[in-house]
Amino acid sequence: MNPLENFRMAFESLWGNKLRSFLALLGIVIGVFAVTAMISLGQMATAGITQDLEAIAGRSIFVQPNFNEGQDFSTAPIREEDILALQTLPASVIPQLFTSAQYEARPGTRRSIQLQGTPGDLPRLDPTNKLARGRYFSQAEARGGLAVAVLSDRAARDLFPGREAVGQVARLFYPNGARLELTVVGVLQPPGGLFGGLGAAATVYVPNELIWNTSPTARKGQYDFVVLSLKKGADARQVTRQVQRIFEGRYGKGKYQIASTESFQDTLRSITLILQALLGAIAGLSLLVGGIGIMNIMLVSVTERTREIGLRKALGATSSQIRQQFLIEAVVLTLVGGLLGVVLAAGLLLLITATVPFFKVFILNPATVLLALAVSALVGLFFGVWPAARAAALDPIEALRYE
Amino acid sequence: MTPVVQMRGVTKVYRSGSGSRTVEVRALAGVDLSIYPGEYVALMGPSGSGKSTLMHIIGLLDTPTEGEYWLGGEPVRGLSEAQLARIRNQRVGFVFQAFFLLPRLTALHNVALPLVYRGLPLAERLKRAKAALEAVGLGDRLDHLPSELSGGQKQRVAIARALVQEPDLLLADEPTGNLDSRSSDEILGLFDALHRQGKTIVMVTHEPDVGARAQRIVRLRDGRVADGGMV
Repeated sequence: MNPLENFRMAFESLWGNKLRSFLALLGIVIGVFAVTAMISLGQMATAGITQDLEAIAGRSIFVQPNFNEGQDFSTAPIREEDILALQTLPASVIPQLFTSAQYEARPGTRRSIQLQGTPGDLPRLDPTNKLARGRYFSQAEARGGLAVAVLSDRAARDLFPGREAVGQVARLFYPNGARLELTVVGVLQPPGGLFGGLGAAATVYVPNELIWNTSPTARKGQYDFVVLSLKKGADARQVTRQVQRIFEGRYGKGKYQIASTESFQDTLRSITLILQALLGAIAGLSLLVGGIGIMNIMLVSVTERTREIGLRKALGATSSQIRQQFLIEAVVLTLVGGLLGVVLAAGLLLLITATVPFFKVFILNPATVLLALAVSALVGLFFGVWPAARAAALDPIEALRYE
Repeated sequence: MTPVVQMRGVTKVYRSGSGSRTVEVRALAGVDLSIYPGEYVALMGPSGSGKSTLMHIIGLLDTPTEGEYWLGGEPVRGLSEAQLARIRNQRVGFVFQAFFLLPRLTALHNVALPLVYRGLPLAERLKRAKAALEAVGLGDRLDHLPSELSGGQKQRVAIARALVQEPDLLLADEPTGNLDSRSSDEILGLFDALHRQGKTIVMVTHEPDVGARAQRIVRLRDGRVADGGMV
């Protein structure tokens, strides 16, 4: 008897008992649905996180001094000659300064705001910065240390509530009281995505030169932070190693902290992978329960069809043919359940992609589908063995006498 | 001529219980029996005489504890379970009192069932099943489910299922036991016709008027052939 014949028989007998077959495979449907959805959601989350991260940070490498305890804030600044060395790499080098300032929110009430020095023309150097209105001060203006500013969306709303910020003069104070009057030339777009909140600080972007000239703490030619916005096709890991070599060669190990969006992504990926594995394992438990359900139904089916088994043996079926028949029935049952589970999972994933903005792409790997189906077939095989063995072991005489 | 069934000193002992409480039941105590091709034999005897056991051994559903049995001239001793199944499929056609049709299958597919285990392609199986159903006068009921057939018709489907195997031996166990007298006559008439066509038939029955239609009656008593063994 060929296996195809067995599959036909399995379908016939399962079809003949539609309600029960459906109830039996429900456990498998839920199990496979859960496993498939978990794995795919994990992959979709990883993709979403990666995309959001790229949207706010691009493909970048960040360098900043490592502030060890007890060490002076300015023991290891980034110097002009370091910037020159970095400019040989395939990336736009954006040296920056950070300091804080205050503004008068209401007469008598001062609030803090972040002041960030940049080399000018930032949207071109790092495309994750997008202008909403106005323009960004040029590199020439920056070098000249002009009193111009570009505001983050939040800063524009804080400094000029209900008014257009471009064209206004922003009045800031350093903590020591020194005044700073800046002409606002542009406002940036608010960052979007999952990490939008991170970039939503109130920041006033001014020329580096201006901070050097006015801040009581900054020293000319020293930077707090460098962003290297990678050019297309540049290998993040390789450039990261080159940056490391430059700083370690000049200052020794451990003085600077060098990170890349790639390394953030790796971390996030490994976190989602662990989550995926955990959730998948929990979902796998429901497959186990589903498998036990299948075994239960198959045992009932064997008992109920005792006379059929006896008859088939009398007509010339061997024990191994009977065993095969029931094993294949169990496998067909779980495979159909697995297929249904995958279809349901695909439906859910499509729905989530369509409705939840964070999940931008629908991911259902063929490998995931294959795994789900293989696992459901294995569940059928595993939990079908015992009922099938009981069927095969039936004595035809007893079986035919069975009422 | 080689007998279809040849038995020498066949005994069957059932043991139940264990240890000192083992109970032995001697269902058959040395049966000698020959049945030749084309014969129509009724196997009769009171209940407990061993006729069911004998039928199971003839049909290879059971094997003797002692003694020799040749089916179609070939010894049965030492055959594996799978070999016995194959021989059952090719040489023995069963007809049961309770019909034993699979309720979800049509008459045609019920009749084709034994041929599944010969590995015949579906089209060939259905062709042969149709011919067998036509031979028992049910050519117009091919697609009926058992639930849509009368008792007599069900038994005719069961007989067609035995005939489709083209067996050496038709083995009928109280085939009219579940039927009213009109259907019984119809079924017994069918067996008469099959006998005239040269089929070898062994029918287990306890009804004398059913037994009377056979060519020879083998009477069992206390696990032995009392009469008609004709060795």
